[in-house]
Amino acid sequence: MPAEAAVRPAASPWPVWPDGFGAGEEERRALLVLSALRGVTPRKLLPIALRCGSAAATLARIARGDAGSERDRAVARTMRPEDIDAAADACGSRFVTWSSREYPAQLRQIHDPPAALYVIGREPADVTSAVAVVGARRCTALGREAAHDIGHGLGRANVTVVSGAARGIDAAAHEGALGVDGSTLAVLGSGLDVAYPFDDRSLVRRIAREGTLLSEYPPGVPPSRYHFPARNRIVAGLCRATVVVEGAERSGSMITAEHAMEFGRDVFAMAGAPNSSLAHTPLQLIREGATLIRGADDLLSDLGLELDLPRTESQAELDPVERRILAEVIEPLLPDRLAVSLGMTVPAVVGTLMRLELRGFVRNVGGRFETTLRPPVATRA
Amino acid sequence: MYGRVNGVTVVGVHGHLVAVEAHVGRGLPSLTLTGLPGAGVQDARERIRPAVESAGLEWPLRRVVVNLSPGTLRKEGPGLDLPVAMGVLAATAQVPSAALEGWVLAGELSLRGGLVSTPGVLSVAIAAARSRLRGVIVPAPNAYEAALVEGLQVVGATTLGEVVGFLRGSWRPSREHADVADRGEPHHAVDLAEVRGQAQARRALEVAAAGGHNVLMMGSPGAGKTMLARRLATILPTMSREEALEVTQLHSVAGLLNGGLMTERPFRSPHHSVSPAALLGGGTVFLRPGEVSLAHHGVLFMDEFTEFRRDAVQGLRQPLEDGRVVVNRMVGSVEFPSRFTLVAAANPCPCGFQGDAMRRCICRGDRLETYAGKLAGPLLDRVDLRLIVPRLTRQELMSEGTGESSETVRGRVEEARSRQRRRYAALGFTCNAHLPGPIARREVRLSTGARDLLGSAVELNALTGRGFDRALKVGRTIADLDRSDLIQPTHVMEALAYRPASLLPELERAR
Repeated sequence: MPAEAAVRPAASPWPVWPDGFGAGEEERRALLVLSALRGVTPRKLLPIALRCGSAAATLARIARGDAGSERDRAVARTMRPEDIDAAADACGSRFVTWSSREYPAQLRQIHDPPAALYVIGREPADVTSAVAVVGARRCTALGREAAHDIGHGLGRANVTVVSGAARGIDAAAHEGALGVDGSTLAVLGSGLDVAYPFDDRSLVRRIAREGTLLSEYPPGVPPSRYHFPARNRIVAGLCRATVVVEGAERSGSMITAEHAMEFGRDVFAMAGAPNSSLAHTPLQLIREGATLIRGADDLLSDLGLELDLPRTESQAELDPVERRILAEVIEPLLPDRLAVSLGMTVPAVVGTLMRLELRGFVRNVGGRFETTLRPPVATRA
Repeated sequence: MYGRVNGVTVVGVHGHLVAVEAHVGRGLPSLTLTGLPGAGVQDARERIRPAVESAGLEWPLRRVVVNLSPGTLRKEGPGLDLPVAMGVLAATAQVPSAALEGWVLAGELSLRGGLVSTPGVLSVAIAAARSRLRGVIVPAPNAYEAALVEGLQVVGATTLGEVVGFLRGSWRPSREHADVADRGEPHHAVDLAEVRGQAQARRALEVAAAGGHNVLMMGSPGAGKTMLARRLATILPTMSREEALEVTQLHSVAGLLNGGLMTERPFRSPHHSVSPAALLGGGTVFLRPGEVSLAHHGVLFMDEFTEFRRDAVQGLRQPLEDGRVVVNRMVGSVEFPSRFTLVAAANPCPCGFQGDAMRRCICRGDRLETYAGKLAGPLLDRVDLRLIVPRLTRQELMSEGTGESSETVRGRVEEARSRQRRRYAALGFTCNAHLPGPIARREVRLSTGARDLLGSAVELNALTGRGFDRALKVGRTIADLDRSDLIQPTHVMEALAYRPASLLPELERAR
């Protein structure tokens, strides 16, 4: 059986790049230039490529002015593939074409698949089992906890955690996986050498070292609002399932989830309180048929993975006072209120809450205390 | 044609006796000042002649030389107006020289011959008493502060004429100031009982007061940080007379004193645009105490802490550590006492609403991190207590009753302080907050359970090395409030609640 067939197990329902597109040195050079054309998205490029049959012919056609903008035409004529290659080398990335063995198989099964990818780190073709974990950048402590748990659980189960390396939910999921030496992959909406997120590159650097960084944009391309929806199709396309943890109305996570549904992948959404603006996307997805999860446990069991989450101590180890306080915290509460309703002194309540917080049962959000996602074992059964 | 009068110049907070000699001799009418007069004293030259003439006295139309001795000390301040004028009057025999013997004179003159309220009179009186002089003659409004010094006669006069009358024996001063100078119990305008809700913050203030700990409050605008900080001054132990005198002296020097002894602990709340000189002390001509010294023995409240100028904040390190501040200027170097409790307040994030129950934070991630960095400086390592002050919902505000009064809490605080004084008598500390880390680790006794708890907090990464020392000291204070010689697990638990990790999850993550 030829090697090609192994990486393409089934025919995609959508048009894909022609066989041999980008194969060989000349094709590769043409594809490098094509990847640098900002005005020609894969969607526009694909019909031209199908007519022309090869990257070199496609590029020649664009240079003649049959497609793309005026600027693209100029770029197509003058851009030297060696320069892009050099820039890619400089940031330690490889150029992976449609015809490369390293091109991820799952990505061949989506509409408008990227013709080529820039990759740093582990080979994305090794990513045979992956789950996307996406959500809001500005998230709640609860959401961060859930995403971290999910990343942790997936990492333990040898499932690659795919996300966008943004702060908030994305970062928590990546970190959860990295924390247990799990596999993780980040898809960026900019060139791989661009410092984005602008404030904190440390996560991206760590993923490049210990996981995979991937982008369809050549080095030097700044992030743009048009890149992120496109990036999200790659996130969804790489994975067998997509999990949305928190997202406001019209969030990027909604786009990722919609892509996943379109590609026929599973979608999971973490339940949230209806009055929380960050629960809008997950609840909407659940109404549209996504599977509701309450946390990492639900997700892992639905995916048929072994449950291996860090456990807090069981409630059996709590003393009666701690149990009474825990039972009372049904919404974020001030210690004052707990003191009144339980007839305790404020120092005693504060001390007990501290003990519960240290063991992971509650957390302090702006002076109010709420329970964490890890329900005491006794109520779990 | 010679006259001699005692005056005092104030350097920092201390008064130094100055002999003011006047000589009236032949020559064109003029007034020359010698003996290192500062710009403020030079300024007096043009003021004195009109004042003397307005008082119905005669200014000699001859060459007048006034020498200020010792010549090595730069003289500053308007307090030398009166001695200079009186020296000239003595030299022209308009007042009897013998009557000036043993008196120190101080006061600024107006052109109409009036005596104007003058800064630093308490320091003048203290210097006079130290030199075992008979008494002081000062402007009437300043007589109250001068009367605080024991064993000193105080004459409060409103005009130059009255002073001359007193020396000639034709005018008798009022004795009123002697009776009202020492007001008894402090009276506070605010009380802790007025705070609704915020039980945890009230408790934290009690702990801060009991151990002398500095406090960082984080909370959204409108949470009540300022209100709480203002009330910390009311639950601190009542000042001793020595402390009250120090505070009064500093305020006198700064020209902020209004009346006699300050018995209430000061509460200073400088705006965040304050210059380093105004915060720490300084000035180009006359070295004035800054806000840190005006808050001596009281509370320095720095609202919007992250907005303060960097150099100003950096300058706080010395006063926080040594309880004094040294101001160096071209005109010299002085030291002001500045042992205060710092209450820093800040929003949880640039927009102010991170973690708020009612409004969502709209800050961009990178700004959050920059902001967290501002709160991670070495200065805040000296802050033992950190707490979140939540903005209460209307419902919460309505349901919470009022708490204990300042007086009740102050009672417990004073008891806890006296326990600390007894315990540290041999070590030379007065409260837990001043204990250096190594000594705290050696001296503070923990129960086995408490030790285990602290150990597990360190293992859970909830506590850094410095955090450990802080928790130890705060735990010691909580145990003092509980009248316990041994720190119990409950004390440690509460102390850990004032640690920074739960306060700034973002900050901890950034590290």
